[in-house]
Amino acid sequence: MDLGEDVSSMFGKRSKTNSNSTVNRSRTKGMEEAPTSFNQKKCIAWFRQYSTPNNADTIGPEGVEAFCRDLNVEPENIALLVLSWKMGAKQMGFFTLQEWLLGLTDLQCDSLAKLQGKLNYLHSLLLDSSNFKSIYRYAFDFSRDKDQRSLDVETAKAMLGLLLGRQWSLLNSFFQFLDQSRYRVLNKDQWCNVLEFSRAVDVDLKNYDVDGAWPVMLDEFVEWLKVTRGESIIQ
Amino acid sequence: MMKGGLGGGSKKEGKMRIRAFPMTMDERYVENIWSLLKSAIQEIQKKNNSGLSFEELYRNAYTMVLHKHGERLYNGLREVVTHHLESKVRQDVLASLNNNFLQTLNQAWNDHQTSMVMIRDILMYMDRVYVQQNNVDNVYNLGLIIFRDQVVRYGGIRDHLRHILLEMVVRERKGEVADKLSVRAACQMLMVLGIDSRAVYEEDFERPFLSQSAEFYRSESQRFLGENSASVYIKKVEARINEESERAKHYLDESTEQRIVAVVEEELIQKHMKTIVEMENSGVVHMLKCQKTDDLHCMYKLLGRVSDGLRTMASCVSAHLREEGKALVNVDESGANALNFVQSLLDLKDRYDTFLVKSFVNDPIFKKMISSDFEYFLNLNLKSPEYLSLFIDDKLKKGVKGMTEQDIELVLDKTMVLFRFLQEKDIFERYYKQHLAKRLLLNKSVSDDSEKNMISKLKTECGCQFTSKLEGMFKDMSISNMLMEDFKNHIQTSGTSLCGVDLSVRVLTTGFWPTQSPATCTLPLAPRNAFEVFRRFYLAKHSGRQLTLQPGLGSADLSAIFYGPRREESELKEKSDGPSSSTSSTSANGPRKHIISVSTYQMCILMLFNTRDRLTYDDIMNETDIPKKDLDRALQSLAMGKPTQRVLVKSPKGKDILPSSIFAVNDSFTSKLHRVKIQTVAAKGESEPERKETRSKVDEDRKHEIEAAIVRIMKARKTMQHNVLVSEVTEQLKSRFLPSPVIIKKRIEGLIEREYLARTPEDRKVYTYVA
Repeated sequence: MDLGEDVSSMFGKRSKTNSNSTVNRSRTKGMEEAPTSFNQKKCIAWFRQYSTPNNADTIGPEGVEAFCRDLNVEPENIALLVLSWKMGAKQMGFFTLQEWLLGLTDLQCDSLAKLQGKLNYLHSLLLDSSNFKSIYRYAFDFSRDKDQRSLDVETAKAMLGLLLGRQWSLLNSFFQFLDQSRYRVLNKDQWCNVLEFSRAVDVDLKNYDVDGAWPVMLDEFVEWLKVTRGESIIQ
Repeated sequence: MMKGGLGGGSKKEGKMRIRAFPMTMDERYVENIWSLLKSAIQEIQKKNNSGLSFEELYRNAYTMVLHKHGERLYNGLREVVTHHLESKVRQDVLASLNNNFLQTLNQAWNDHQTSMVMIRDILMYMDRVYVQQNNVDNVYNLGLIIFRDQVVRYGGIRDHLRHILLEMVVRERKGEVADKLSVRAACQMLMVLGIDSRAVYEEDFERPFLSQSAEFYRSESQRFLGENSASVYIKKVEARINEESERAKHYLDESTEQRIVAVVEEELIQKHMKTIVEMENSGVVHMLKCQKTDDLHCMYKLLGRVSDGLRTMASCVSAHLREEGKALVNVDESGANALNFVQSLLDLKDRYDTFLVKSFVNDPIFKKMISSDFEYFLNLNLKSPEYLSLFIDDKLKKGVKGMTEQDIELVLDKTMVLFRFLQEKDIFERYYKQHLAKRLLLNKSVSDDSEKNMISKLKTECGCQFTSKLEGMFKDMSISNMLMEDFKNHIQTSGTSLCGVDLSVRVLTTGFWPTQSPATCTLPLAPRNAFEVFRRFYLAKHSGRQLTLQPGLGSADLSAIFYGPRREESELKEKSDGPSSSTSSTSANGPRKHIISVSTYQMCILMLFNTRDRLTYDDIMNETDIPKKDLDRALQSLAMGKPTQRVLVKSPKGKDILPSSIFAVNDSFTSKLHRVKIQTVAAKGESEPERKETRSKVDEDRKHEIEAAIVRIMKARKTMQHNVLVSEVTEQLKSRFLPSPVIIKKRIEGLIEREYLARTPEDRKVYTYVA
């Protein structure tokens, strides 16, 4: 992905711009639109195109689906996760008006075309490691059932695949481990530590510190992995 | 003749003039003086000194030195002495090589010393002045050096001397006679010849002596080992050490003692200690098995001489103790008996304590090792805490036959020693509570004092937290007694009827007493009503409290009348020849009254038979609602115990209680006693499922205790690194049980999830307390 300097100049910038300033200097594909400044009313109207019939201030799952279709982005696309993060969306599959405005104002988008132009930018945010960490942690709360404290294992695997699929070579092993284990949920601490683990521990596990205060689940993962690799014997 | 002294010539009148002493002497004069001295010396050497004038010789020597001829005198001396020793003395000694060598050498040495003393005396001025100024050896030492080099260390003599001395030692060791005095003299001579060091003695005698001894003892050790008995070996080694010690002290040089003993220790002990310790049928294990405290003590003393000797012995003792311990502790389920289990361990401890005192002189290494061994195998059996509690329970119950209070006290103290070794003290606490509850409620304690005594022992060991609940139980008992007094007064003054039931209630505070599985049963009407009276009375006094009846813990005395014929009579029908002498029936033919002491459950069961003749098991279960396990036990005691206990009869007969079994009152019930106590089939230990339940309860409790500890520590310290936290928690809990680091980690994670703790953002290994 070639991002160019205009995107990199926006790195880490999450400051709210006011609606009168900055021109959106994005690269658009296909649709050319004359750069206009952000219009809140327009943004709200755009929201209303997708909001649920009985609650004009919420977009529900069907609306989200439609939104994605129009945007030409699959719902599983990670850009959507980043967008949700920008919005501070609380629940996967739902946007409130407040969240919508928050995120899109920050991005200065009040139309599909403008947003499409920002997709690369959204992707690029993942490259910064502290942003990534923030998005990763956000993903847990975003995807869990609100009346549960923990995330069920299947959803967790899906999110992990999305987030770490390309950068952690042990991900598939971890999935296998989870499948054969008793674990049906992951709690937040375990979730966060998986990211740390993927960043800190080498594939050969040689630098895994047994005294490293890793959650027991990860201790067990390492043990299991060693056994399956034939490197140790479970007593 | 020159006069010594200042000022020669006559004094001049008037002026006193001190003239310089004429310093020059002519050569002839010096030569004369020297000749004089030389022949004198030679006479001395020939032991012909009697005719000499000390004063004259001294003066001559003085003169020479004064006139700066000290060097000549010195060299001359050296020459004369050398010549004498070389040509005369050495030859004499060499001649005696095969004939009185030592005596000859000693004689020569003595003579030399004597003459040198005299020579030194004559030449004392030279010693003081010339020798000092020129930093040469003084006369006596010079003599020693020459003697050493020309005689003692002269090739053949040196070798022969060594040979003879070693020969003597060999003979002595064999038990033969040797000329000890000569040996001593020779050794002393060598020591002196070293002048300011023991180098001559060392090189010429001691070193070869030590190396020969090492070889000797090397083969001795094999000989000793051949005897194949550790105790014999030890005694022989001790003997040899003493022998060598004596020899060194009296006949060699004292300083050799330490060295030769070290050689013996090395060859006989250090190199073979493992073999000795582990010798079959006579080594440490054998000694332990046969209570050979003295032999062990000898071995202890011996091995204490070498480094690691005691550790070798200790590890052998330890291995054996662990085996013995393991054997005692690994009794299988069926054979397990708590009292025997604990008693055998106490006996084992006694045995090893005796060893510790008598054989190992309270050596801390051994003491520590015995403790750690006991700790090791005691905890191998997971039921140890339960058994220990049962043992103490037995000793605190009434009817402990044949033991005085002091005896019991002693046994309990020893039991506390075992208690200290338990790692799972919290499990012990749980069982102790259960057993104490039974003792208190069934009134089985020997005495309140003994109970309180035991509790204070536990308090000393484990702190108040351990015993506060136990003390609460006692308080409940005494409060209940007072309560009953009040209740009785209340009944009298208010005239309330208790339906003919003499009620006695004990109120137990829930937190103190062991948790019972909630059980209800359907009480018969009379006791039920009586209890209601009490309930109202109590709740009037203490509103806001809840009272729950615990049927599993109660007992009842029932008054029973049996109408059937006596048991014996129905068995006596056969023996009649001739007219049947019916002496049978008439004696006490009337109905028999008894008081039956039963448990609450049994009361519920028996009261049913007031209205019905026979009941099936199912009937009984439905009507009383007693839990199956308790129902079975109750019926067993009532219907299938000893004949003097069989208040009910079961049909069909047989060991099993089936849902269809039919129960009826045993009309022929007979007992010599008016008051019959029905023994409940007491389960001595817990059954397997009960034990599992206890253990899971303990695990639950432990989880809470670990979490409480974690929170306590984190609240105080605010932040802490993972490893440090784990070890602090372990430290805090170790007097109750040993949590594994994995379990502690799991609890930490649980607390993170519930947001009591969090990881610090900078370092995920450091936790912080979330207020």
